[in-house]
Amino acid sequence: MKNPVSILSFGISSPGGTTPEALEDFSQWPVESVHEAAGRRLRDVSRIHLAVEPVNRWRLKPRLRRASPLSHHLMESIAQALEARPDIDPARVGLVGAFFLGCLEYSVRFYKGLTTEGRRFASPILFPETVVNTPLSHVVAELGIGGPVYTQVGDTSCWVSALRTACLWIENGDADYVIVAGAEEFEPHLLDAFHSLRWFTKSHTLRIAEGAGAILIGRQTSGAIADITRIADGYSYRTRSQAVAAAVECLGVFDQNLPVLDTATSWIAETASSLLTHRHLIHLSRGPHHEAFTASSAWNTILAARQRQHARMIVPHWGLSQNIAAVEISRAANV
Amino acid sequence: MNSREDVVITGWGCVSPLGDDVATTWVSLLRGDSARGEITCIPVEGCRVTNGAQATLPELTGVSKKEISRLSRASRLAIPAAREAMADAGILNSKGLSVFSRLELSISTTACGMEHGESFLHDIWSRNPRHLASKISRYPAHQQIGDLQQHLGFSGPSMIVSNACASGANAIGHAADILRAGFADIVLVGGYEALCELVFCGFDSLQALDPHLCKPFDLHRRGLMLGEGAAFLVMETSAHANKRGAKIKGRLAGYGHTTDTHHITQPDPTGAPLEKAIQRALLQAGLKPSEIGYLNAHGTATIFNDGAEALAFARVFSEGIGGVRISSTKAAIGHTLGAAGTLEAVFALECLRTGDIPPQINSTHPIPELATCLAQPGDKLTKPAVLSVNLGFGGSNAALVFTAA
Repeated sequence: MKNPVSILSFGISSPGGTTPEALEDFSQWPVESVHEAAGRRLRDVSRIHLAVEPVNRWRLKPRLRRASPLSHHLMESIAQALEARPDIDPARVGLVGAFFLGCLEYSVRFYKGLTTEGRRFASPILFPETVVNTPLSHVVAELGIGGPVYTQVGDTSCWVSALRTACLWIENGDADYVIVAGAEEFEPHLLDAFHSLRWFTKSHTLRIAEGAGAILIGRQTSGAIADITRIADGYSYRTRSQAVAAAVECLGVFDQNLPVLDTATSWIAETASSLLTHRHLIHLSRGPHHEAFTASSAWNTILAARQRQHARMIVPHWGLSQNIAAVEISRAANV
Repeated sequence: MNSREDVVITGWGCVSPLGDDVATTWVSLLRGDSARGEITCIPVEGCRVTNGAQATLPELTGVSKKEISRLSRASRLAIPAAREAMADAGILNSKGLSVFSRLELSISTTACGMEHGESFLHDIWSRNPRHLASKISRYPAHQQIGDLQQHLGFSGPSMIVSNACASGANAIGHAADILRAGFADIVLVGGYEALCELVFCGFDSLQALDPHLCKPFDLHRRGLMLGEGAAFLVMETSAHANKRGAKIKGRLAGYGHTTDTHHITQPDPTGAPLEKAIQRALLQAGLKPSEIGYLNAHGTATIFNDGAEALAFARVFSEGIGGVRISSTKAAIGHTLGAAGTLEAVFALECLRTGDIPPQINSTHPIPELATCLAQPGDKLTKPAVLSVNLGFGGSNAALVFTAA
């Protein structure tokens, strides 16, 4: 990025609630034990129940009646970010969504339907909701967002790629403001997938969560919540040993004296802790980490932006399967 | 975009149902061939429609059988297309690897390595959980990025856009944005899509597939033909291309994109959002509609898409639509979804390079709005610019204007 951008507002939809305080204490999040789809193992997960306020406000919208849970999480977080800045016209706002898993629940249901009932009986109602960019399409239609809209996919680190796209649009004048959102939904087959990938380690419990987070960014301005001053992206790996080298290279982009937010989960937490022994590691949440991938990336960005103890900090985004990226968050400048 | 930094294209490559490189595909397109046939690479028994445009997977030289068996069908389409583009641009060394250790990627796809995800689910449901890790790890889009980087020898930032069928045009436009903003000097852009059961059955369930012939812009059109393929372009700033002595083969002059909120699967019937995307692309290019000689239309051959597109084109070219030649190459290679935008951009660039225009096949009773402008065999490009447009589920619209070197 060439110029810093400011975080002007944010929105949260998490199992712990929709306020920023919910992100500060994971131990208060509801936990339920869910069976793997094929295995006998029970895993603790944190879910959002769509019948509960305020997330249920979107269920009454005709367009969202059949929409995936992910669409509801996304709607809530983005609506909050826009509602916090009524002075900004949504028609001047762009939107980039980052997704790791996408509309998983409906995709599994659709595929299960066609394999059990026959291909001719595949559901034409479910299929459109399996398309990755459908959730953002709902958001644009309901909230009147008028700027450019991209759906981006990748591992957790694609949140940073989405942030980079947003900065590019602001830099080029394609949008005055951009919402960057990350959202994920839980589906039990995930547990089988992550078990097979050995992401449930004994030393670092992976507690899966779902939800969404969104930030509204614009050109650097006074009165912002915080600034994004540097982005490092594109440190890819294929093996776990390559991940160490990628992480070293990525974090080497930043001032080595800056504190680093503790964001790592699963197997990469071991890599992270070995790399960060000489760095000032910051914990902004109590209780065990929950992993909601791109939604967690958004939540970590919001936590870093709201804290007031440190003038600058690095927020790493540890993609668990391909890429490592990081963002420097700074106290808002007086511009 | 504010900057007028010149964005040039120095190489392109493709794998399509008509051939495993640009030259073979282009000759077939000009001849009026169609790749329509029975689908054999995925199970389609029981669907209303069982044919489409299936690609023949190219040989991957220098890659072991074991490694090939691990690659998704999507990667097996993408790697050779990217290799052809990089060779065309002169950025491969003697070992067939990138001369740039860090090379930014702008990628489009919609279904990733879906067959591995499907296989994972089948194994779970049949209580036969074998090789689950290798299956699930090969499914997501970022694994195809890893395959490209590993086999072509580079790393760097990657952006994977999944704006449905407009994704490919978005990936190209995004690369231009990156270059014009000075975020990078050179970007490898690509789109890929492999046929898969979930998506095929999805379109079949919507009854959006024509059981007979795909007839874009025809009064008797009944739906699309699904296809698969991949196409890549090497895009760079003109300063970077000149500095390394690369041959400039085309320019991206303009990019416009809009989102319409009409419906998840149907475009705004007035075509107004698409018209706006085209006008933005023309404005950025500094060109008038009358300077466009060929338009590669989205042309899926569905009732709604082609109707909306025709209205948009009629308004954009209101001063004389007869002066532009229009065709949808989807009648020949099928609708390749996330790869459509990049494949059709390659065809637009080939049109600029050779002066030949791919004819509109299968349209024997053209809709009145486009009756005078559908491309015929032997038509030649007589103007300096070409346009390629794409629309997608979710209301995505994108337009690209290319000019010659």
